[in-house]
Amino acid sequence: MKKANYFLAALLGLSIQFASAQVKKGSILIKNATVLTITEGTLENSDVLVQDGIIKKVGQNLNAPNGVTTIDATGKFLMPGIIDAHSHLGLDVVNEATAPIVAEVRMKDVVNPYEVGIYRALAGGVTISHAMHGSANVIGGQNATLKHRWGSTDPADIIMQDAPRTIKFALGENPTRVHGRGNNIQPRTRMGVEAILRNGFNEAIQYQKAWDSYNSESSKKGNSAMPPVNNERLQILSDILNDKIIIHCHSYRADEIYMLINVARDFGITKLVFQHTNEGFKVAPEIAEYTMGASVFADWWAYKFEVYYSTAYNAAILTENGAITSINSDDAELIRHLYHEAAKTQRYGGMTDEQALAMITINPAKQLGISDKVGSIEEGKQADLVIFEGHPLSSYTVPQMTFVDGVKYFDIKEDEDDQRLKVAPTEMVDAVMIYEGHDSRCMQDTEHLFETTNSLFQLNY
Amino acid sequence: MKKELLHAGVFCLLVSGWLSSSLAFAQSDPSGKKRITDTYAITNATVFTAPGQSGVKATVLIKDGLIVGVGSNLSLPNEAKTIAGDSLFIYPGFIDAASDVGITKPKDPERPDDFVSSNPSDEIAGITPWRSAVDQFSIKDSKVDDLRKVGFTIAQIMPDGGMLAGKAAIILLGAENSTNLLKENSGLAASFSGSRGMYPGTAVGVMAKFREIYDNTELSSQRSQKYTTVSGLKRPEITPTYSAMQEVLSGQIPVLFSTSSELEIRRAISLQKEKGFKLVLTGLEDYEEVIDVIKASGASVLVKLEIPDDKAIKAQKDDATEEVKVLNARVKKAYDEAVAQASKLEAAGIPFAFTTVGVKSGDIMKALQTMIKNGLSEKSALAALTTNSASILGISKVAGSIEKGKMANLILSTDSIFAEDSQIKHIVVDGYIYDYDTKAKKKDSKDGKEDGTVKIEGNWEYTSESPAGSSGGILSIQKEGSDYTGTITYDDPSGSGKATSPIKNVVLDGSTLSFSFDVTANGMEILVEVSGEVDSDSFKGTMNVGEFGSFPFEGTLNPTLIANK
Amino acid sequence: MKRLNKIFIAFLLALLPMMAMAQIDGEVIKPRAGKFLLQNATVVTITQGVLNNTSVLVDDGKIKQIGANIATDGAEVIDCSGKFIYPGMIDGGTKLGLVEVSSVAETVDYAEIGNFSPNMQALTAVNPNSVAIPVTRVSGVTTVLTAPAGGLFPGTAALINLNGYTPDQMYAGFKGIVMNFPSSGRRGRYDRRSDEDIKKANEKAVKEANELWEKAKSYGSLVSNGAELDYYPEMEQLAKATTGELPLLIEVNAASDILAAIKWVADKGTKVIFTGVAEGWRVADEIAKAGIPVVTGPIQALPTRDSDRYDTPYANAGKMAKAGVKVAIRTDEQENVRNLPFFAAFAAAYGMGKEEAWKAVTINPAEIFGVADQYGSVETGKVANLIVADGDPFETKTNIMHVFINGYRMPLSNRQIRLYQEFLDRSPGLKMN
Repeated sequence: MKKANYFLAALLGLSIQFASAQVKKGSILIKNATVLTITEGTLENSDVLVQDGIIKKVGQNLNAPNGVTTIDATGKFLMPGIIDAHSHLGLDVVNEATAPIVAEVRMKDVVNPYEVGIYRALAGGVTISHAMHGSANVIGGQNATLKHRWGSTDPADIIMQDAPRTIKFALGENPTRVHGRGNNIQPRTRMGVEAILRNGFNEAIQYQKAWDSYNSESSKKGNSAMPPVNNERLQILSDILNDKIIIHCHSYRADEIYMLINVARDFGITKLVFQHTNEGFKVAPEIAEYTMGASVFADWWAYKFEVYYSTAYNAAILTENGAITSINSDDAELIRHLYHEAAKTQRYGGMTDEQALAMITINPAKQLGISDKVGSIEEGKQADLVIFEGHPLSSYTVPQMTFVDGVKYFDIKEDEDDQRLKVAPTEMVDAVMIYEGHDSRCMQDTEHLFETTNSLFQLNY
Repeated sequence: MKKELLHAGVFCLLVSGWLSSSLAFAQSDPSGKKRITDTYAITNATVFTAPGQSGVKATVLIKDGLIVGVGSNLSLPNEAKTIAGDSLFIYPGFIDAASDVGITKPKDPERPDDFVSSNPSDEIAGITPWRSAVDQFSIKDSKVDDLRKVGFTIAQIMPDGGMLAGKAAIILLGAENSTNLLKENSGLAASFSGSRGMYPGTAVGVMAKFREIYDNTELSSQRSQKYTTVSGLKRPEITPTYSAMQEVLSGQIPVLFSTSSELEIRRAISLQKEKGFKLVLTGLEDYEEVIDVIKASGASVLVKLEIPDDKAIKAQKDDATEEVKVLNARVKKAYDEAVAQASKLEAAGIPFAFTTVGVKSGDIMKALQTMIKNGLSEKSALAALTTNSASILGISKVAGSIEKGKMANLILSTDSIFAEDSQIKHIVVDGYIYDYDTKAKKKDSKDGKEDGTVKIEGNWEYTSESPAGSSGGILSIQKEGSDYTGTITYDDPSGSGKATSPIKNVVLDGSTLSFSFDVTANGMEILVEVSGEVDSDSFKGTMNVGEFGSFPFEGTLNPTLIANK
Repeated sequence: MKRLNKIFIAFLLALLPMMAMAQIDGEVIKPRAGKFLLQNATVVTITQGVLNNTSVLVDDGKIKQIGANIATDGAEVIDCSGKFIYPGMIDGGTKLGLVEVSSVAETVDYAEIGNFSPNMQALTAVNPNSVAIPVTRVSGVTTVLTAPAGGLFPGTAALINLNGYTPDQMYAGFKGIVMNFPSSGRRGRYDRRSDEDIKKANEKAVKEANELWEKAKSYGSLVSNGAELDYYPEMEQLAKATTGELPLLIEVNAASDILAAIKWVADKGTKVIFTGVAEGWRVADEIAKAGIPVVTGPIQALPTRDSDRYDTPYANAGKMAKAGVKVAIRTDEQENVRNLPFFAAFAAAYGMGKEEAWKAVTINPAEIFGVADQYGSVETGKVANLIVADGDPFETKTNIMHVFINGYRMPLSNRQIRLYQEFLDRSPGLKMN
C-alpha cells in the first residue's frame, strides 16, 4: 500500500464515522428574549427561530412554523452556547505520559459519553468542550472537540465531527517533571523542551521527505524503492508543519511562550493557541501578533511555582493588546460556571459585556477553528443556545435551559436530579465523594510515575 | 525467541488418531494405570445430540477417541466396555471459546540497563504476538479438572500478557500424557491494557500502537517481497512482532480482543473497521447498549460466563429513605438487565459463545442457570457452549455435537444439564472417561427408612473448612408441620465466642438438604447457603459464603445432644 | 458601570507616576491610620438595616459614629455619595497566609506531621507578608479564619484581620481547635480504598478520637484539681476543648458523618462548630435541632455523589439556613479567598437570598466565632472593618473603592494590580524603538 492509500483509508474511516453518527437536530422558536448575539450586538425583545438544528432567523415577531415548539423567554437572556477551550471531561484516558512526544494518540479513541460531568457542564450553559490530552508530554495527543449531546451513548455522537484537528503541546514544569525528573530522560529543563520540539519537527521533515521520494520513485516502472517505516507520530508532526492541525499549548511562563512562538515561526507554523498562559500578559504583543491567542483561567494562580507571578488581569491585558482571548476551565467544577469566570474580567480589567462574553463564545470558537459554525447567534449557525435568568455576567444569574443543535439537553424546571446514564449493577448507593478543591485532570493517568501522588494531584494544572 | 518464531509459522490440526497410535507403543505398564480398552458403549441413555434437539433414548459407542455410533440398534464390539446409561443424560462436551485454564503468566523480561521508558522493546512493552499459549499451559494444573468437572472438554487457551499477549491455542482438557493440542495459533490475543510506566501505557496509547504495528507489518511484508525479487537492495529488518502479525493481516487468524465494556467493544470495532482484520470480541460483561453495533460489525462474540456480584442488591434494605430507594431501584434494574443481556444477544440473532477467562469454575452453572432464568433459551445456552463455540473456533467438523465421526467429547449428567439439581457423573474427553462423585438423590431405604425419606430434625454437630481454618457449631432443626425451622451457631466473625442465627429456606428434597442463614460481619450481612446430602445421621455438603467461595461442610446428627435437649 | 470601571483604572494609572515619586521620597504605599469621615453613603449595616445618605466616622480604629450630619472635626473626608458602605467580609475557613505556592513544599505550612497535634498554632505560622493577603483584601474580605489541616486533630485555627505585620497585630480574637471528624466517605477521585477499608479506617479513627478525648478530659480535670502532670502539650491543648475554653471546629461532610458527629458531641458539653458540611442539606433539620452552627463551603464545588442534582453545592447553604441552622460561608481557599463574595452570590442565587448570604459572610461568622461585639456589622463601637463600593460587592462589575481594616485605610494595590499597570501597555512593546 502506498502512502497515499493510507490517507485514503483514513479518510474512508472518517466518512464511515460520519455516516454512523446520526445526531439529533431540533426545531424551536425562542420568543422575547434579550438576545446577546456576541457578534451583532444585543437585541432586546427578540426571537430566534431554529430549524433542524440551525439558526434560521433572528428578529422580532417571528412565528413558529407547524410543529415547532415555542419557548417564551420574556425577561430572560439568550446567548450562544458556552465553549470551553480546555477540558478533560468525557475522556477515559487523559495522559499517555510515557514519551515526550505522543502525537499519534487520539483522544477520540477514548471518548466516554457517560460522564455525568457533561450534563453538569450543560447545566452551566456549556455546549462544546475541547477534550484535551493531558500536559505530561511536550507534544501530547490529538484532542477531541465535543458537543454535549447528553444522553447519547455512542462516542461518535458527542464528537463534533466537523471540527478541525487540534493537538496538545505542553511546556514547563509538567513535561520536565514527568520525563526529566520522573523517568530520567529529556527534557528536564526548558532548554530540553525546546530541543524536543525542534528535533521532532526536523525529524518530521526528513520523514516526509523519505515518503515523498518513495512515492515518486515507486510510481516509476521497474523501480527498486523500498517503503520507509510508517511513523504516525512523525506524520502528525508533518501535518502540524503543514498547518493542518491547530496546536493548543499548555504554557505558563513568558519565556517558554516566547520560545514556542519562535519555534513556530522558524518552522512556518501559524496555527497556534496558548493554553493557561498565566504569564501571557508579559508577551501579549507577541501573542497578538503571531498566534491565535490564548485561553486562560480567570483567576487561578500560585498553585505551582510557574504561576506565582500571575495576575487576574491577564485576560484583560491580552485582550487590550489585541490577542484573541478565551476563558477556560480545565476542571469539572469550573466548567459549570464559565459565565461567572468570564465575568471576573470585568472586575479585573474592566472588560465590557461584549468582550467578556466573547471570551467564552466566539473567541474559543476561533481558537478551535469552529467560529464559522458556532460561537454567536447568527443566522445559519448551529443552534447551540443558553437561556439565563438574569444577565449571564451577573453573579446571581441562573442558567435555565441549554440547547445543542436546537435540542434541549438541560432544563432547570424539568430535569430529574439523578442524571446518570448508567448505573453499575454492583453499586452501593451511599458512596460519598468529598470535594477537595479543584481537581484538574491535566496530569491524570500519570500516577505511576510518582511516589507521592498526593502532592502531584493537588497541583497539576 | 527462535522457538517462538517457529510456533508462529506452524498451523496444524492434530487428529486424535495420531494421538492414540502414538500411545499404543506402550505395551506393558507396571504402573497399572493404562486403560484396558478405548472402546466404550454408553447404553440406553437420553442423548441430546445438538442444541435444540430433544433427548432420545440411544446408545453412544465410542472408540479411538471418536464417536463411532449413536443409535438404538448398534452392534457393540466385544472390546466395548459398557456403561449403563439408563438414568443418564448425554450432551456434547462444552467448548470454552476463550480460557485461562492451566495458564501461568510468563515471567516479565528483565529491563536492560539502558531501558528507556519512552521506547521500550516490544517484549517489555507487552507486545509479544509471537508467544504461544501452549508454552504457558499445563494440563496438570488443578484448574483444568475444575473446568472439566463442569462439562468443558475443549478450551481455547489465551496467553497471559500485555496488549498483544500472543497466540491462542485450542486444546482438549484431556489426558496428561498427551499434548492435547487441537490447533496452534488459533488467534491473536489483544487487549487495551498498557504497560505500566512505559509506552504504550494506556488504552489511548495502545490503540495508536496497534495501528502502527498493523501498518508496519504491511510495509514490512512489502519490503520482504521486494527483497526476494530484486537484487541490490538494503536488507529489510525482520522482527518477530511483524512476522507474527502476518497471519492477522492475511486473515488466517482473528484478533481475540478482550473487551469487557461497551466502550471497549466500540473501540475494538472501530480498529477493525479501520484495518479490516477478523475480529472476535471476548470477555464481554456489559454490552446491551451495543448489540446492534456488534451485529453490524460481524464480529464474533464471546460473553464472559459470569453474572455480576449481587452483594450490592442484597445489601439493599427495605427501610431505606425514599431517596435511597429510588437509587436502589436503579441498581436493581441494572442488575436485572445485566443478567438478561445474554438473552438480548440471542434475540438479536448473534450466535455467541462463552469465555471463562477470569471466571471461577464453581460459579459457572449458577451463571448459566441465572441467564436462563432471565430469558436465555436453553437451546442458545447449549449452542453457546457447543456448536457456536466450535464454529467460532473453526472446529465444527470435529466437535460441538454428538455425531458419528466427531470427537468423543461428552457430558453424562444425572438430569437435563441446566436443571438445578443436575449433576455431572462422567465427562468423556477424547474418548477418555472421567468419573465424578454424584450425591445420591432420593436414595430410598438404603438406611432402612421405610418411608423412603430421611430424618433431619435434631441437633447436628457440624464442622466447616475455610481458608481461615476449621470451625464448627450446632445446627438445630425442628419440624413444624411440613416445614423445618431451626438455628445455627458459629464462631462470631466480629469477635470471640459463638453467634447464633435462625436458618431459613430449609428444603429437604429426597436426601438433599439445603438451608441458608445470615451472618453479620463488620456490619455487613452475608448470606451463607448450605446444601448437601443426608446419609442416615451424617451430612456432607458445601457451604457457599457469598463472594468468598464455597467450603466443605460436614455434620453429624448427635444423639447425645438430642438427649441433652 | 462599565464606564466606572474604566475610570477607576484610569485613576489608578494616573496615580502610577505619583506612586513612583512617592517612593523616591522614601515613602512607601502603606496602610494609613487616622480619622476618616465616609460621607453620604448608603450604609448596609447588616444588623440595623440599610441607611441612606448616611456618614460613618472612623477614628482610633473604631466606628465612632454613624449618622446623617456628622461634623468633619479634622477628619479626612471621603466623599461616598452614590457609594455603598458594607462591613468587611469574613471568610469562615481558609489557609490564607499558611501557604505561598502550593506545589513548593517549603512554602506549605498548614499540615504538620502527626495525627494528634492540636497544639500547632496557625496564628504564629501565618506569613503577614504573603503576596496573597493584599490580593485578597482588595475584594473586601477583611478577616479570615486560617486553619491547619491534616490529621485527626491537626492544630488550632485563628481568626485574623488582613492588616498588620505581626500575628499579634492581625489576631482578631478567636481560636478554635480543628478536628477532622472520621470520614466514611471517599476523599477525592484518587482515593481508591475499598469500601471495607474505608469502613475499617473510619471505625479505627472514631475509636482513637474517643480515646484521645477521654484522655484530654481526664487531663483537664486532673489539672483543675491541682495535679502537676508531665509536660504533654497536645493533651494540654485538647483539654481546653473539653472544658469549653476553646471551641472545637469539627470538619465533617458526608450526611452519615454529620449525624455521627451530632451524636458524638451530644454528651461532650463543649462548644462546637461544624465546618465543611457539604451534605448538610441532607440532614439540615437534624443540624438545626442540635443547635450547632455551621461554616460551609466551598460553594462552588462538585456534588458529593454522581446521583446528586448538579446544584446541590450551590444550594446547600440556603437549605441549611432555611432549616434554621446558623450558617457562615467559607472559601476553603488559600490564594483565592478573594472569591468569597462570589461564593456568597451563588448561595444567594440558589435559594439563600442576598440578605442571608450577606449575613453568612459578616455577622454570622462573627457570632459563630464569638466576636460579634467587634466585627460583622456596621455599628458604632465596632472595629472599623469597612468597605466602600460603587455597587453590590458580590457582583464582579462592582469596584471596591476603599477598604478599612482596624480603622486603617488600606492601599488598594497588590502585585497582581502592579503587573497590570506594568504590562497593560508594555514598553517596549512588540518592537524595540
